[in-house]
Parts: sequence; C-alpha cells; structure tokens
Amino acid sequence: MSSFKREKKEEEDGGGNPFQNIEKTTVLQEARTFNETPVNPRKCTHILTKILYLLNQGEQFGSTEATEAFFAMTKLFQSKDVILRRMVYLGIKELSSIADDVIIVTSSLTKDMTGKEDLYRAAAIRALCSITDSTMLQAIERYMKQAIVDRNPAVSSAALVSSLHMTKIAGDVVKRWVNEAQEAVNSDNIMVQYHALGVLYHIRKSDRLAVTKLVAKLTRMSLKSPYAVCMLIRITAKLLEEEGDSGSSNNHLFEFIDSCLRHKSEMVTYEAAHAIVNLKRTSSRELAPAISILQLFCSSPKPTLRFAAVRTLNQVAISHPAAVTACNIDLENLISDSNRSIATLAITTLLKTGGESSVERLMKQISMFVSEISDEFKVVVVQAIRALALKFPRKHSVLMNFLSAMLREEGGFDYKASIADTIITIIEDNPDAKETGLAHLCEFIEDCEHTSLAVRILHLLGKEGPRTKQPSRYIRFIYNRVLLEDPRFRAGAVSAMAQFGATCPDLLENIQVLLTRCQMDPDDEVRDRATYYSNILSRQDKSLYNNYIIEPMKISISALERSLQEYIQGDTEESFDIKSIPVVSPLAAEEIQTTAQKTDGMLSSTGPSKPVQASREENYIKELSNVPELQQLGPLFKSSDVVELTESETEFVVRCIKHSYTKHLVLQFNCTNTLSDLLLENVRVQVDPSEGYNIVKEIPCPKLPYNETGTSYIILQFPNDLSQSVGTFGAVLKFIAKDCDPTTGIPDTDEGYGDEYILEDLEVTPSDQIQRVSKVNWTAAWDEATEANNYSMMNIVFSLSSVSTLEEAIKNVVQYLGLQAAEHSDKVPEGKTVHTLLLAGVFRGGADILAQAKLVLSDTVTMELTVKATEESVAELIVFAIE
Amino acid sequence: MGLLSILRKLRSSPEKELRLLLLGLDNAGKTTILKMLAAEDINHITPTAGFNIKSVIADGFKLNVWDIGGQRKIRPYWKNYFENTDILIYVVDSADKKRLEETGIELYELLGDEKLQAIPLLVYANKQDLPNSLPASDLAQALGLPTIKDRAWQIQSCVAIQGTGVKEGMEWACKTIKKK
Repeated sequence: MSSFKREKKEEEDGGGNPFQNIEKTTVLQEARTFNETPVNPRKCTHILTKILYLLNQGEQFGSTEATEAFFAMTKLFQSKDVILRRMVYLGIKELSSIADDVIIVTSSLTKDMTGKEDLYRAAAIRALCSITDSTMLQAIERYMKQAIVDRNPAVSSAALVSSLHMTKIAGDVVKRWVNEAQEAVNSDNIMVQYHALGVLYHIRKSDRLAVTKLVAKLTRMSLKSPYAVCMLIRITAKLLEEEGDSGSSNNHLFEFIDSCLRHKSEMVTYEAAHAIVNLKRTSSRELAPAISILQLFCSSPKPTLRFAAVRTLNQVAISHPAAVTACNIDLENLISDSNRSIATLAITTLLKTGGESSVERLMKQISMFVSEISDEFKVVVVQAIRALALKFPRKHSVLMNFLSAMLREEGGFDYKASIADTIITIIEDNPDAKETGLAHLCEFIEDCEHTSLAVRILHLLGKEGPRTKQPSRYIRFIYNRVLLEDPRFRAGAVSAMAQFGATCPDLLENIQVLLTRCQMDPDDEVRDRATYYSNILSRQDKSLYNNYIIEPMKISISALERSLQEYIQGDTEESFDIKSIPVVSPLAAEEIQTTAQKTDGMLSSTGPSKPVQASREENYIKELSNVPELQQLGPLFKSSDVVELTESETEFVVRCIKHSYTKHLVLQFNCTNTLSDLLLENVRVQVDPSEGYNIVKEIPCPKLPYNETGTSYIILQFPNDLSQSVGTFGAVLKFIAKDCDPTTGIPDTDEGYGDEYILEDLEVTPSDQIQRVSKVNWTAAWDEATEANNYSMMNIVFSLSSVSTLEEAIKNVVQYLGLQAAEHSDKVPEGKTVHTLLLAGVFRGGADILAQAKLVLSDTVTMELTVKATEESVAELIVFAIE
Repeated sequence: MGLLSILRKLRSSPEKELRLLLLGLDNAGKTTILKMLAAEDINHITPTAGFNIKSVIADGFKLNVWDIGGQRKIRPYWKNYFENTDILIYVVDSADKKRLEETGIELYELLGDEKLQAIPLLVYANKQDLPNSLPASDLAQALGLPTIKDRAWQIQSCVAIQGTGVKEGMEWACKTIKKK
C-alpha cells in the first residue's frame, strides 16, 4: 500500500514513469518466475504489467519469445488471485495475435466464463474470443449464446461485443445468435441494450428489408438506453439516405428522428439534430427545430456540447447556409471561447457563411490564435479558406498571403498538404491568382521536407508554368531541386523541366543544356528521364512532344505492370503490344473522391471504405477472365456503368454491364432471384439487337437459387458500318423455373417450366465505345490535329431543345458521348451565355477523337459541334449520334 | 506493518506445494480423475481443449494437479508444462487395446525427456470395470514398466468414474515424495 502511495506521489512530482527503463529481454527473463510453484501473485502481477506495458509501447515480440512468455503465463492459472487472473486475461488478449498455439487456454477460459466467480466471467469471454478462430468457434458457441442472455450485464455486454468482433472471422456462426441478441435488446441495462442493438444490426445490415423491420419494431418500443437510441438514429438516417424519396415508410422514419429531438438525454437530442441536418432530403421547415437544438447547445456550459454543436454546424454550413446563418450571433460569441478547438470551428463556420466584407476581419481573428491550435484544426481552417477563395475570387490575394504565411510555419504533412491543395485549387479556379500562387509554391519547395508534396508541386509547375507570361523564372526554382534534393525530387524536377522545353520553343535550348547536365546524375531514374526527354526534345517534332511529354500516359499503370510481367514470362518473340492495355479513364480518380466523401457521417460500424486502386475495367477483367469464351476477343476496351433493366423491387433483378472490345460487344447480365420458392435454371437474357449486330454466342447461367446473383453473357459482333452501332435492343429474361421448398431450396420436382420476363430496353450509345482521355493541353493537340493530315473533321450545328442551362447541356453531351472535358472546360463561369467545351477521347480500335462544342444560351441551347478523329467513320458516328 | 508481520508469523507454516502432471491419451479419463480428486461433479465432462488445474490438500501437501488435454493436436504442448514437476501421472484406458502401442510410445517419449528425468511415475490403469480391460499387471508388462530403472514407478488399477483406486495412487505419490 505504501509503495503505491509513493508511486502516485512521484507521478505528481513529475518523478517519472516506473516502467521507463525496462528492457524486453530482462522482462522476458523475469517471466520465467511464472513457472515457479507456489505462485507469488504480487510479483507475477508486476511482471505481467511490465510485459503489457512493453507491448503497449509498440515493442516487437518475436513469435518464439511471445509463445514462451504465453506458456509461462498459462501456469498462472493455478493461482486464485483475482487481480493476477485478470492480468492474465489481458496478457492472453495482447499476446494472442503474436504467440503460437494460444488455443491451449481454451478449456481454462471456458471454465472461467461459465464459473461462479463473476469477476472472471466477462474478461474471460473477451480473452476467449481473442484466441478463437472460426473452426473453434463452434465448440464454444453454446457458451456464447448463454453468456449473451446472462443476467449479469457485464457478462452479457462482453459476450455481445465479442460477437461483434467475431463477425469478422465467422459471420455465419454469429448470425445464428440472433435470437439471443434479440432477447438482450430487451435488457434493462443501458450498455447491454446498446451492444445488443449493435450486434443485431451487424447481423442484418446486408439485408435491407430486415433492417427496415428492425427499425420499425424498435422505433415503436421506446429503448431505455440513450446509446441504443443514438445508434438507432444512425441506422434510421442511413436507411432514409439509401431509400431516397421512393420509400413509403420514409415519413414514419423521419418522424422518429424528429421525435428524438425532444428526448430527455442531451446525447440523443444532439444525435437526432446531427442526423437531420446531414440528411440530404431535409427541407428547411424540418431543419428549423434541429438547428435550434444546436443553437441551444452552442451556449451550453458543457464544452463537449458546444464542440459537438459547432462542429455539426460547420459541416453543414455549405449545404444549409441559411439555417446556419441563424446561429451567427452564437457563433460570434464562441470565437472567444477558451477552448481553441471550439473557437476554430466557430470562426471557420462564420467564414463559410459570412459575406465578402467580413472576410478580412475574420482572417485577422484567426491569425491571432492559429499558432495555438493543433494541426487537425489548422486543416479545418485551411478548408474554410479554400471554400472562401472559391466563393470570393476577388479576395484571393488576402487569402493567398495568409496561406503562404501558414505554409512557412511548422506543421505536419496533412496540414501542409491541405495548404498546398488549397493553393492549387485556387490556381486552377482563378486565373488571376495563378502567378502569385505559383510563386508561393516555388518558395515552399525551396524548403520542403515532404517529398510527395514537393513532387506534386513540381508536376504542377511543369503543367502550369510554361503557360504563364514569364516561364523562365520558374526554371531556376526547378533546377535548384536537381542540385540539392534526393532522387525522387530530382526525377520530378527533370520531368517538370521537360514540360517547359516542350511547350516554350525559346527556352528549349537552355532546357537541353540543363537536361544534359542531369544525364550525369548518380541516380538511375533521374538519368533515364533526362535521357528520354532530351532525346524527344531534340527531334523537334510537335506530335512527339504532345504524345510523350505533355500528355500523361492514358493507360492503366497497374494493368501495364501485370501485362508486362505476363509478357516476360511468356514468349518474347513477338513484340509487346501496348494497345492490349486498357485505357484508363480519368473518371476513376474522381470516383474515389466521391466514395470517400460518401462514407463521411455514416455509421461508424461500416468502417473506412476500401481504397479503389484498380480501374473499373481492371476489376471486370478479373471477373471476365473466368469465362473462356471471352478470352479470344482481345483486350477489354471499356466497361459501361451498371444499367438497371428492372425496377428495384421486382421478382427478378437484372443489371447489365456493356463491355466493349475492339470488334465485339459483350453484354453481362447480373440476375438476382428474389423468390424464395423458385429455383431458376438455364437463365439467359434474349436480346433483339438493332440492325447490323450479329449474335456470336450466348452463355446462360446454369442455375440461380434464391437470393443469389448469377451471370449470363451475350457476345455480339459490332456492325461493320459504324453508324449502325448505336441503337436500342429489346431484352427478355428467359429461364426454366422449378418450384422448391423455401427453407431448403430443394426443388419439389425435377420438371420445370419455361417462363420469361420482359425487361426494359437496352441502349447502346457512343459512350460505350469511347474511353475518356484527359488532355492537359487540349489546344495544342487540336492545333496539331489541324496541321496533321490523318484527321478528318465533321461539323454540325443544332439546338438542344430539352435543356435550359449550359451546365445541363454540358452534362448531357459529356455523358452521351463519353468524352472527357479538358482544361476545366466543363465548368461554366457564372452568368455566361456563351461557352466552349473541349473534349477528348479514344474510340475502340484506337482512333483518337477531339471535339469542340461551342454552346450559346438563348431560350434553348444551341450547339456547334466540331469533331476531329483519326477515322472518318468515327467522326461521322459522333455527329450522327448527337443529332 | 509491524502488526501484519507478527500476524503472518502466527499463521502456521503453509503446507508444502507439489506439482503433479496428469497426462495420457485422449479419452483415458484424466479430467475425470482430476474432478474425482477435487470431489466435483463428473457428469458433464467434455474433451479438454487445453488444460485444467485443481489444487487438492492431501497428507499435509497441497497438490497442484495439471491435467493437460490428450488429443493429438494438444500433445505437442505437453512439453511446455514439464518444468518443476514433482510427480508424473500417466493415465491409460485399460480397455483400449488398439491404442496400447500409441500410449506406450507417448509414455516413453515423456520418460526420455530431460526435464522429467528421475521424476516418479504413477500409471493409472483406468476403466477396470469394463469387461475386456487388461488387468494392471498385464498392462505393466505390455508397457514394459518393469524395465524402468531410473525412477520410482507404480501402477495402480482404478475405476475413475466410481473413484476406486484413485486415492491409493495418490497415497503412493505422497509417500514417494516424503521419502525423498
């Protein structure tokens, strides 16, 4: 006891950490004490603490030493000391992932979790689940079920939370515990109820109908636990978001969330308000009560509530500016809040909603305390500034100066990256700010410790620099990098310089001199790049410049890598054909961003979304490679978006994906059977193609049981006459149906009957045959196409009667043709009535396409479309198709 | 502090602790013997996935009995529990003639281990109530026990589910330790 007191006192004196100087080898040596009989609980507890401390500090244990320590630890089970036993449970959990053969304690833990000593039971469950794998889970299933419905709340909670963890390794087994979880939801204990709801939701979350039922049931019975209510609000909000406006139960769901605004727990009212303001569908009338809750919290004496409220207001400031403006006075008061995090959020919220006149005043206030807040909040400030710069382009100089001052300060990577991002966005959005922005970035890379960031900036300089008034001034900054930095910097700098050489003829000579120097570089990559660029630049050929320096590679890098590896292993007699690599569309990157944003504000249990690394085509190639018939068609050129051929809630769900090959079109039909009493066989979609198409082969799906998705394919040959390749196909789902027992899925008889189901028509558009290509310097490519003689040109003027704004017209054209807008030409400056859209793409077979659409807005939109393509028929098709 | 130490001295000196290792093939009856020793209910015994420990007081000794599962996949872990063992108890299912050779091989592997050198060996010839079980003397011959010269050994016939013979074995164990 006295020693404990002393330690505590030392801690207060700042006397330091008693575990500071312990060493792994010594501790492991000490762990041998565990083998002694009788066990000395005090001593062993202390040693175990040291082991846990080391593990927590990130010390790496090898699997042999961990196993040895683990087995020594198992000897401690002979002691009845409660504290020691609980330390052993912790030790088991920590070592379970490192040590081998941890299942040896299964029996002992099972005994403890079912035993009389309540102090052991919950912890034993947690430890047991950490050592159990999916094969062993069956053996303890009975005990887990019992524990879930145990009267002791700690035991029940532990079992529920452990079940939640087990779903990752054995989801099917945990699904069988649904009845027990259901019972636990009725528990009086707030934590048990919360955890039980978590498990129930997790078991059902993939089945939307089941979730709807769960929510409907729980919203009627009033849950006792505020935590569970919060969770239910999140589930409900997610359901509302997914259903959109279509669901009929929507109002009921929304009413539930709305009623939670009047709950007696602050946590619940906050959660409800948060959910309502984040819902896309919320109308301003529905919003008002939620905002007034947040407003109330803004003046709460509890900092957590103030923080939560202001953070939520901050997040929705852009989507609901009017509602947030109503809280302006409260937010103004929070600027002087002693909690800097709250102050930061308040000020950035004001920035988002405020008028142009208040910008300077607020910026001054921020600069007073920006050095006192953490990086995370600095990022929030930076994001607010970005929004501000987009809103008030005229204020760019104030904001830019502020950003560059922040850039010079100390800060972590995320912080610096967000500043650089913001500057880049401002540059791209606002041509007036370009030169100053680039100057700030140049200054920044002079002293930048983050390689990836500096390389990005170098890339940007290479892209934007040559088109400024005085390109030569940037070269000094870039070349400085070559002299000073590590190889990655230098390689980036070499590429950037080459951009200048390719774009500015008067600088070419100087660039060549610099590149020659770089060829002496000690690093391979730098030398290779310098040689490569120097060679191309010496040819004095514009089209070479465009294809190999200015424009980035338009093929999928991961696919290229894979194909090259295959090529090396196979027969290298034939030369490698780069056309076999799928062209990657620049859209992929945008998709990643939108999915990343979507996950924000959703249920925490959904976890972070997996990064999409491969392109869409890449993913399909893996799927399609299982079908031997498709292998002889050559490389996959493009896969379309998924097209729904049925309403979402019908007996059969059919989705179609159109895959274009050089000469063939493959239709992939993903069919889902939603009837539990039918087994479908020989499932295929019969299409009635438009004229000119030939059906080469149909590949039906042999068997489609309830709730499964099967795939059938149709291979068609594209018409020789390109103008026929655009058309509408009729589609009918055909199958042999067999009645079956809904519970077992076994058909009642062997005899089935043929049946069919009419699907919606399928359209084949030019975009299915065109892959987007991102052109950095579209104008250069256009000029080059005018000079070159292998391009044919088509021109057409017509009126788009169905649209009333330029944005809408642009959206339709881009979507229908499947071309990529270049140089940000898909953004129309506000108030303009004339706009030029620049497009680029590549047709199946490899013909390059450039298109220019001049749009004029009067009552309707009139468009003059000029298409240049390396094949005349392609240009014709596009002009013909848009008519 | 002073009072506490006086109180400690007043308490009688604790009984000597012994470590007993209970091994044998699966389904030999190890856990049943353990539960019998601790006078616990033996109606719900499942195959041991890992180990059980019980402390029993007998003859002025505190016996810590370690019962380690006998399934093939757990046998490799036996060696982790050899250290500081005072008595090795090996349980044999006398009626399981098919696996007599297997149990012998496992036993000799144990006897050959360095950590178990010279540790007294007690063999329980369990399940004597079954009709075609081998008597203890035959089992001793079959296992080649008489050739063991480097340690004290004893074979004890028993019927674990009735508790007959278990106590006698333990008495031998305590006596052997006292002699040392």
